Amino acid sequence: MSVARPAARRLVVSGCLPGVAAAPSSTPASCRQFLPAAQQSSNFHTSSGLSARKRSRFSSVPAAKMGLINEEKIQEFTQKKFPKFTPEEMVELSKRYSPEQIAAIEAGEASINPRDLTIQGRLRDDPYVMEYLDDFAEHQPIIDKRPQRHAPPDPGARFMDLDDFTEDLIRWADQFRSGDVTGTMKKVVDFVPRQWKDVAEGQWPGEVRDQAHKDFKAYLQEQIKNAAKPDNMSGPTDADVLQYILERSSMTDGNLKSNSSLAPALPRKVPGVAGLYKNAIDPADEGLDETGIYQDLKRRTGMTVREILSLQTKALVRRFVSNQTRLGKIQSTSVLYCAGNGDGWLGIGMAKSTEPLIASTKARLMAIRDMKPIRRYENRTIYGNVTGKVSGTVVELSARPPGFGLRVQHRIFEMCRAGGIHDLAARVPRSRNPMNTVKATWEALCNQKDPESIAIGRGKKLVDVRKVYYGGSVY
Amino acid sequence: MPIHAITNSCAHLQNAARARLGLTSIPNSKYNLRLALAMHRAGLVSSVTRGGPTPPPPESLLTHESEPVTTANVATRRIWLGLKYWGDKPVMSKLQAVSKPSRKITAKINELEKVARGFRVGHLKGLDLGECLFVSTDLGVLEIREALEKKVGGLVLCRVS
Repeated sequence: MSVARPAARRLVVSGCLPGVAAAPSSTPASCRQFLPAAQQSSNFHTSSGLSARKRSRFSSVPAAKMGLINEEKIQEFTQKKFPKFTPEEMVELSKRYSPEQIAAIEAGEASINPRDLTIQGRLRDDPYVMEYLDDFAEHQPIIDKRPQRHAPPDPGARFMDLDDFTEDLIRWADQFRSGDVTGTMKKVVDFVPRQWKDVAEGQWPGEVRDQAHKDFKAYLQEQIKNAAKPDNMSGPTDADVLQYILERSSMTDGNLKSNSSLAPALPRKVPGVAGLYKNAIDPADEGLDETGIYQDLKRRTGMTVREILSLQTKALVRRFVSNQTRLGKIQSTSVLYCAGNGDGWLGIGMAKSTEPLIASTKARLMAIRDMKPIRRYENRTIYGNVTGKVSGTVVELSARPPGFGLRVQHRIFEMCRAGGIHDLAARVPRSRNPMNTVKATWEALCNQKDPESIAIGRGKKLVDVRKVYYGGSVY
Repeated sequence: MPIHAITNSCAHLQNAARARLGLTSIPNSKYNLRLALAMHRAGLVSSVTRGGPTPPPPESLLTHESEPVTTANVATRRIWLGLKYWGDKPVMSKLQAVSKPSRKITAKINELEKVARGFRVGHLKGLDLGECLFVSTDLGVLEIREALEKKVGGLVLCRVS
């Protein structure tokens, strides 16, 4: 027995056979005529259909029929709920608000029709309604942002120069006027007829000039008399001067008040200071050292920048190291450089920095600074066999005959090339740590035996047989 | 002749040189004395003086007359060697015994020639710059260059540099 059978039968009975299907009698006739017969009566789901549409037990009465939305009622409600401000209220408001705010209020009143408020306005009850009713008239420090009372600072403001300062001082002094505003006193020109105003004084006719001078004198005397009168606004008080000194803005922003109690930051280029602390460019550098990184080296080594730049330098080891702090890993680059002049001078330098480029530059400068002459036999190889040891790294260097070449690993090769060694063999029998290899090679090169000091120490005469055999004509 | 005394002397002299001593002593034996004199000829030590357990006074190192050796004092005789330094470094900084009682190394004249030129022969490494090799031969203890001059080979004692 199949459980699907009764449902299938019902589907067949109610959906597939149009003759059997009976449309609910409650479906409005207007709806029924637009629906196809199959869609009208079949459900595309398994739940049983409602027998009929639910209807309210009460018949709905339109608001118009109740007399609520006729024009008189609306008017009445509007008059009652949203009256206009009376003149007395406007006077009260103008005491409380600035003229600009009053203007804004009036504009707002004019822009909203009270009838719209009656018809459309309602208190919100949706989920996104604010939890409080507020007209934002008061500032609540916990909820609201701090009010910015003044305009934002002028980004183009700069420190006043002498002219700006003078103008600003005059502007400030003019607040305390006890006569005419500065610079507005009349001149002789103002007392001549209009046709002579644009003409120089020497070309005025005699009577015009005399009359003008007479009037001007009278004007001046009147001015002096006025100035001598005691005036209640006789000038700035001590408090005004103190305020000028302490609070007047020193920028060209028209004494703008700041929202912050912090002083404005210094501009990038402070006039009078900008350019004073720049290193003087040495004309002997031939423009090769614009950034000034070689100045210290020049002083220490006595070389010119051109000589420094002609040195051979090479990065031998580059490592990425990190310092684990409680704030996390701090990555930096550690670089080992060698530098030499290709003719017996060699130096190595190591530097670390979080910036790889800076580390390289520093290491290179250190290597150049560290340069010193290394002993060379016949300017091509070393004296005897030397061994250098740093930690577990042992480097064995051996002198070799002319033309042997540099049969050494690449880091020692670069050092030899920078130092001007052309024939050499090297073994690194134990650890081949790159950094220790370089250091051990450096140690070995610096610790070569000196035949002369051996001879002096033993009181013997040591002779270089090669030199004797070739009559000193070895290169 | 037993050579352990030579080995001990080498170790002692190297220690003394590293300790920057001016005067030190090794046991008095014919072998030690010959080696000390060979070193003196090579310029590695400044003085060789026979003495007792107390060092001879420094001013009389070259002229010191020790008391006659008797059977009573022979065990306490020492050879006092003056060590040399030049430029903050000992003239004799590294002494290495080559032969030891359990493995004696001898070298013929042709082998010594190779070694003197810096080539390795068997157990014997070639000489480096400023290195000396002492050989015990029929003609006494000689430096390698003296041995080559006299064309003798023998037992290789130690190398000094």
